[in-house]
Formats: sequence, C-alpha cells, structure tokens
Amino acid sequence: MRILSVGKCLLFASAMVLALSVVPGSASAQGTVRIGVTLRMLIENGFKYGQMTADELNEVNKSGGINGQKIEVILLDDECKPDKGVANANRFIHQNKVHLIIGSTCSSVTLPLVDIVTKEEVPEIVPHSTNSSITQKGSAWVFRTSVSERYYAAVHAKYLAENAGKKVAYLFTNDGAAISFVRDYKKYMQETYNVEPAYEAQMQETDLDFRAHLLKIKSLNPDVLAIGGQIDAIARIAQQSYEIGIPAKVRRVSASAASNAPVPELAGDAVKGLIFAAAFSCTDEREIAKKFVKMVQEKYKVRCPDHDFSQAYETAQIVKLALSKAKLKLTDASLAEDRKAIRDALASIQNYQGLASGPINFCADPTPQCRDGNRTGILVEYTKGGKDYEMRVLARVGFDPDFGLPKK
Amino acid sequence: MKDTSTPTGGTAQQGVPAGSRFSRRHLPWLAGFVALLLLPWATPNAYHHYILNIILINVILAVGLNIVKGFAGQVTVGHIALAAVGAYASAVFAAKFGLPFWVALPAATLFTGMIGALVGIPSFRLEGAYLALATLGLAESVRVFIGVTDYIGAAIGFSDIPPPYFFGRSVVDHVAYYYIVMPLALVGIYFSFCILRSDIGRSFKALREDPLAAAACGVNVRKYKLLAFTISALYAGCAGSLQAHMAPGFLHPNSYTITEMVTLLLMVVLGGLGHIWGGVVGAVIVTIIYDLTRDYYQYQMAIFGTVIVLTVLYMPRGIGGLIDNYFATRRFVAIRKAKANAA
Amino acid sequence: MLLEVKALSKRFGGLVAVNNVDLVIREGEVRGIIGPNGSGKSTLFNLISGVYQAEPGGQIVFAGEDIAALQPHEIARRGVARTFQLLRIFTQMTVLENLLIGYHPHIVYSSAVAAIGAAKVWAEERRLRDEMMELLGYVGLTEYAEMPAGELSIGQRRLLALGRAMAMRPKLLMLDEPAAGLSPVNVDKLLTTVLELKKRFGLTVIVIEHILKVVMESCETVTVLEHGEKIAEGAPAAIKNDHRVIEAYLGKEMDDAEVRAFLKAS
Repeated sequence: MRILSVGKCLLFASAMVLALSVVPGSASAQGTVRIGVTLRMLIENGFKYGQMTADELNEVNKSGGINGQKIEVILLDDECKPDKGVANANRFIHQNKVHLIIGSTCSSVTLPLVDIVTKEEVPEIVPHSTNSSITQKGSAWVFRTSVSERYYAAVHAKYLAENAGKKVAYLFTNDGAAISFVRDYKKYMQETYNVEPAYEAQMQETDLDFRAHLLKIKSLNPDVLAIGGQIDAIARIAQQSYEIGIPAKVRRVSASAASNAPVPELAGDAVKGLIFAAAFSCTDEREIAKKFVKMVQEKYKVRCPDHDFSQAYETAQIVKLALSKAKLKLTDASLAEDRKAIRDALASIQNYQGLASGPINFCADPTPQCRDGNRTGILVEYTKGGKDYEMRVLARVGFDPDFGLPKK
Repeated sequence: MKDTSTPTGGTAQQGVPAGSRFSRRHLPWLAGFVALLLLPWATPNAYHHYILNIILINVILAVGLNIVKGFAGQVTVGHIALAAVGAYASAVFAAKFGLPFWVALPAATLFTGMIGALVGIPSFRLEGAYLALATLGLAESVRVFIGVTDYIGAAIGFSDIPPPYFFGRSVVDHVAYYYIVMPLALVGIYFSFCILRSDIGRSFKALREDPLAAAACGVNVRKYKLLAFTISALYAGCAGSLQAHMAPGFLHPNSYTITEMVTLLLMVVLGGLGHIWGGVVGAVIVTIIYDLTRDYYQYQMAIFGTVIVLTVLYMPRGIGGLIDNYFATRRFVAIRKAKANAA
Repeated sequence: MLLEVKALSKRFGGLVAVNNVDLVIREGEVRGIIGPNGSGKSTLFNLISGVYQAEPGGQIVFAGEDIAALQPHEIARRGVARTFQLLRIFTQMTVLENLLIGYHPHIVYSSAVAAIGAAKVWAEERRLRDEMMELLGYVGLTEYAEMPAGELSIGQRRLLALGRAMAMRPKLLMLDEPAAGLSPVNVDKLLTTVLELKKRFGLTVIVIEHILKVVMESCETVTVLEHGEKIAEGAPAAIKNDHRVIEAYLGKEMDDAEVRAFLKAS
C-alpha cells in the first residue's frame, strides 16, 4: 500500500510538472519586437504607470509598427519584491524571449535584474529606480531614464545649504531609496561643508508613530528636517512634525517618493513647504509638458502626473526611438543579435529632449557616466495640500556626468 | 490511508524475504529520482527549469512546515523567517567568510536548526493563537533586523552571493542548479517520510492531539516540540540557503514577509495538514498555479484568498485528505466484499 | 513495596484536595480506591503520575525511588501507566497507532537512525506491529486496528485506553474509573480483561471506581478517601461495615441509587 502510494504520488508530482511544461510559452511570433515590462503595480497609480508604458508602446502598432515591425508588450507586477522581479525577468528572457526589458520601480528589484540581464545579454531600461549603484555595476546592458539619487541628493543639499542652513536632522524608514537618500545627503554635507548630522534616526516602513523622534528633533531646533521614506511614512512624518510643533521655518525636505500624488492627499496642509527633488513636475510650463499632463489627465484620470508617470512615458518614447534606429531581423535565430542591436541603438541616443528637465544622453561605455542618462533634477515645493494640492518648481539643477561618483 | 502502511494486520509482508523488501522500499524512490533526473529534458526552456527549482525549494519549505504544523500541531507563523535566517546565514558564510557553497549550505542549515530550537522554546508555554502571535513577532523581528543591518545589505539587499562551484565551474545555469536542488529536495522528502513513519512521527501526532496523554505515555513533550521545531528549521535553512545561492544571488527582506508565509501555509493546507504528502503536493500545485496566474496579477491575491477559504471550508484535510478518503473507502468496500464472500 | 506514598498533600488555592495521605501498595496487589465525588481520588492519581506537583514534604516512592519531583513522562518511563477518566485516547490516530504510542518508552532506535530510515528501524517497527496486534487481541480490538480511534464506541474506547496503558509494559497500572458509562455486560468484560492481563503480566493495579461491584469483586484491599483524607483501608468486606465509610456516603447525595443499593446490601 505504502509503496504503491509513493510511486503514485511521485508520478502525480511529475505529471504536474509536465502539465506546467506544456503551458503555451514561447510565443515567438516572428517579426515582432517583444518587450517585457515589470513594475510595482499594486499601489496607487502603479497600475497606470504600467498601463501607460504598454499603451505608449502598443500605439505604434496602429500605424503599422516601427519600420513595419510590431511591438508586443508583456506586462507583469513584481510587488517590489526581488524574488518576483527575478521570476518575471526569467520568464521574459527564457519563455517570452523578449528583446528588451523595462523595469523596475524599486531599486531592490532592479539590482538583481541588472545581474540577470547582464548574464543573459538582454538590454534593460530602468524607468523608476534611483539607487546609485544600479549603474555602477558596470553592466553594458543597463540604461536608466530616472534620475539617480546621486544627483537628487545634491539638488537638496546644495539648495538647502545655501538657502536654509546646514543643521540637518534626518528621520527615515528602512527602505532602499530612503536609506540612500539620507546617506547621500549626509555625505554631501560632510564632504562639502564638514557638517555632521544634528540628529539621525531610522525607523520601520510599517511604523506609524514618529513623534518621539520628532520631539527630540524639535528641541534641537534644526534648520532642515530631512524625511526619508515611502509615501505613507513621508505623509505621516510631515503631519506629525507639525502636530508636535516643529515650526514652519524648519525646511522639510524628503526623498523623491514625496512626488507621488497620495503624499499631499494624505498629509493635507502639512505638506505645504515640503520640498523634494524630482525629474518632473506637473506644474512645468513647457509646451511638451503641458501636452503630456493633459494626455494623462484625460486618459488616466490623474490630475497631476508625478515623475513616475513622466519617466515611464519618457522610457517608452526612448524605446520607440531606439527601435526606429535599430536594424532588426526578428527571427528566432537572430534573437541575440537583435538584443544587441537594440542595446547599441539605446546607447546611441544623444541629446534627447523630452519631459525630463534637461537632455537625456546615453553612450556605449558600461559606466554610470554613460548610463545615467537623465542628469537634471528639479526642486519642487508644495504650496498647498489636500486633494487639490499645488506645487511650484523652486530650482532646476543640471550636473556633469561624473558628479557624485566615488572618487578613484 | 493515513500514514500507517500495512493493510490490516501488519502481517502482510511477513512472508517477503528481506532483500526484496529492501528493494520494494527503495525502488519507488529510485524510480522517482530517475524520473526527476530526466525531467529537465521534458521541459521546453530555461524558464521552466527556473520554475522547477522554485517548486523544489518550496517543497523543502512546505515539507518542513508540515512537520511542525501538520504533524506536531505547533501553530507557527515563523517558518518563512527561518528560511530568511538560512538564506542570510548562507550568504554571509559564502560572501563574507569566503566559504564554498558546499560548506555554507550545511553550516547555514545547522545554524537555522539551532535558531529553530530557540523559536520552539515559547511553545512550551504557549498554544494555538498565542503561539502564532509569538512566532509572528519573532519572524517580524528577523525581517526588521535584516532591514536595518548594513552588514547584510539592510533594505537595499544582499547582492553578489557567490553561486556554487562544481569542479571549478560556477553553477549559475538553471538546469545545473536543478541538479543541486533536486537531490536535496528528494532527500528531504525521504527523510521526512522516515521521520514521520517512525516513532518520532507518532510522538508528534500524539502531542498534537493531546500533550497530557502523550506525556502519560512517556513522550517527553518539550523534547519533541523542540525536535519538531528544529527539524522544520533544518528544512527551512536548507531551502533558504538554496534561495540565496540561486542566480542572481540576491536577497532582500521583502521576500520574507507575511504574504510569503501565508502562501506557504496555503501550500500545506491545500496539500493536507498532517498528511505525509501534504507539503509536497501543496507546494507543487500552489507554485505552478502561482506561476500560471502571473499574468493576472491584479486578481492573484483574491484567487489565493478564495482558495484558502474554500479549502478550509470544504476540504479541511486538503488534497491529502481526499486521497486518504478515497483509499479508506476502497479498503472498506474490499473488507465488506471479503466478509460477504466468506459468509 | 512497589509504591509508597507518605504524607502527600495538594492544595488548590484554599481547597485542600489531598490531605496528608499515606498509601502502601504491595507488588502484585489490586487496590481499589473509592470515595464520593471530590474526595481527591483523581487528584491522587494526578499526583502519582506527575501531572500535579505535590506540596513540599510529601513523598512518592516508586520501586525504591522518590518520583515526587519528576515530570509525567519520566514517571511513565519508570513503569507507571495510567488511564484517564476522560480517556484521552488519540482520536485522529488509528487504534494500532494508539498502542504504538504506548510502547514509546521502549523504542530502541534513536531519532537520527529513524531519520535516515535504517533497515533496523523498519524491522523494529514490523516487530512492534506484530506485538501490538497481539495486545490488541487481548483487549479484543483486532479488527479495528486500522480504524481511526475516534470512530470507536465508548466501550471500545475504554478497552483501547486500557490497551494503550498495557502497551507501556507497566509495573503499576492505574485505572481511573475504567467502567464508567459501560453497560453491565461490558463492565464484566472489562473486569475479566483487567484480571486476565494482571495475571498474565504480573501487574500491580490501582483502580478508582464508582461502580462498587467492580471494586468489591476485583480488589484485595480498598482505600476510602473523603475530603482528601484517607478514612478507611482494608478488605472489601471490612470496608462495607466501617461506620465512617457509611457516614461518608450518607453525607453525600442520597438520591444516588447505587450508594443506597450498596448500603442496603451491606
């Protein structure tokens, strides 16, 4: 009886695995450019970032494709979890046999993806992740349209040191972007002005009450309160900082996640005066920006698209531009060749003028100088909180490619 | 079928000579091993090899969880954190101390086993929901600890964990890695069988049902609770280590949240809590369904939530229970027939 | 002396459940313990088997060793088997498995050996199964061996509880109301089984019983407890006529038909 059942169950298990293997996979339709998109989607607007990226790419199919070549987009969610992102990438590369990967949102997902695409030799373009080390891994296959933290940090630091003061208190949660935001800010202050932090505390992403730390910060009377975290944490810290009476003259500055629409909606008036570095502001007065904002408002029902929208959009445009430049064969045999051609086409993009506040430049070297294409940060200040929040652009700062890199 | 083997009487195998008994006991395992050896050829591409590895790692995790939760009846929500401990321990051994994978894996497994024994201590005094809360607290503190410790990458993640080396060649390919994971998973299943079919497994079940009565039968309740936690932690540690060294060798605390724990519980509940095949069947099915529904990520959580509720409502003993019922019914029918014939 | 209990007491808050009880059990004896509800009979069992810790000063000497401070499983391993008033059989395990658990203290292979599935483990398990099947025969449950114990009737469960205790190969068997809830026919059947087992395995038995017929027919000596104190001890015949015993039972609910019958008979 037992023996029978061992055998049966093993058979059963094998059958299940075989069932998996007959799942329609390798949809390698010839003559189609396949693009895998993995993003963090199960958050506010997250789904719309993904949908917009897919829509923008699919749009070319209406007019017969690029150079007659259609685009197929496979959109997956990675929930900001590296294991999910890695699974998505493996599926894109081996099952869907994509020519290009777009992703991801969280730096902690993008980092392992870089290793995978480098090994498998698939070009990847990073729309949202800001962690500085993504482009410092020396991969020839990775491009980034988002602005690296190494620039953001300096935008705040420079502006605030010159306009507000050098006594900075840091309060942040333990997510990747927040940690590097604080680390880079601190480093800039130490290296440029030799100023140590007035106060520093790290908390959990899930923490709700930051008042104990804020009370201590209040008693120190700093010039700047630096807030690191994701959406909820930023909103809470901003709100609680007013509740316990830190005066408005203390400048609140936060990581780029503050640009996400829920922050002013959650924080209400506490968001007034909060500044953050971004790649884009919906209050941008340029014609191209106004057109883009109108499109997002109409199509995706978002009143003020944040820079994750603009960067997703920009990424799709850059991909289309690169595809139009690349000579692709798009047969099963030419997969590796086509991937390389797309990579080279991306590397040849120079002086692209889009939604970013400055030009985007890529080049062939596998260095951060070449692959952090977007080097212009803007400093945005909220002027009104709540559902109908308002903001304005405080400053616009461009950097040279070497800025913020470890000195050799 | 429960977990006992011989049909009524235990005398059925009496006449079988020892040698053939041995081969009958081991032949199915050998057959399974050969089938699994050939499996990569039956799957079309590297993605499936990758998924096979994930399935097998989940099998190891679920089999371990089934031992402590299904058999010993200790409601733990900390299993996923033990996997994290194993993963990070292995990563530290390999990336920081420079130990080869073949040393890091057993070292991390043993280390996790020790941590598992510590996690088991609250079970002396706590039961049910209270034990669940205690283990949840421990699990979350592990995740938080990882998230703030720069030495192991904190919230940015632990990257560049070296792959295993086999005669000087690095094992980064999914098929090659499969040949490391598969034997370990099979050995893990085999060990779990031996443990659960022996007196240890019986003692686990006894203390799950009634610790006082078990003690009155001479079962050292504390020892066996600790043993259950330790064994399951060994499984978790091994699985964690395998996660760590699989390409691209990247770990992040986000992969060890309560969501992953619920998925793991779903595997065991669906497969059959306390059923000897429960962990295996559950892990295979859940991982495959999870992968097939990857495209419908918007509905994934809803699907899995529904499956859990329906399973608990209509199939409390899981798929394993269904299979048991099928065999039990068949046996009763056979007995009745035999009796009718005799009369 | 197999078991010697000296000055044993147990308090639950203000309630004195067992008060300064002495008890001497000879090897091979069948001892009955009777007393009204709440007189401390089961508490006495729980003290001997280690479920409760006795108050300091009390002594329980089993086979020459003081076991008062030991854990229940340690006491069980020294050869003290017991049944429970509420049976506490393992309902989700099969009948055979229940017996195998009883055999647990005598398992010879180690955990590590079991984990690798060594041949001697399976040989031992096979031998055990046969041995337990034989024992199942004694308690008359052979045909239910593979059935989950939860599916047994109450009478069969009592037999199983007895079988499980016997599987421990005890020196001392303590039965807590083994006949409660059984029909007269089944009471007789149980009685014969216990006495047979005793004879066959040379057991010493302590039995708590409400059904006085059982006590009077099977016990050589009877101990009477009331309010946690020992009020009488002696041969069944002598106990029947002890005025303190009659008083103790008279003090109880008079509508207890059995007690009235007992008193009438005496």
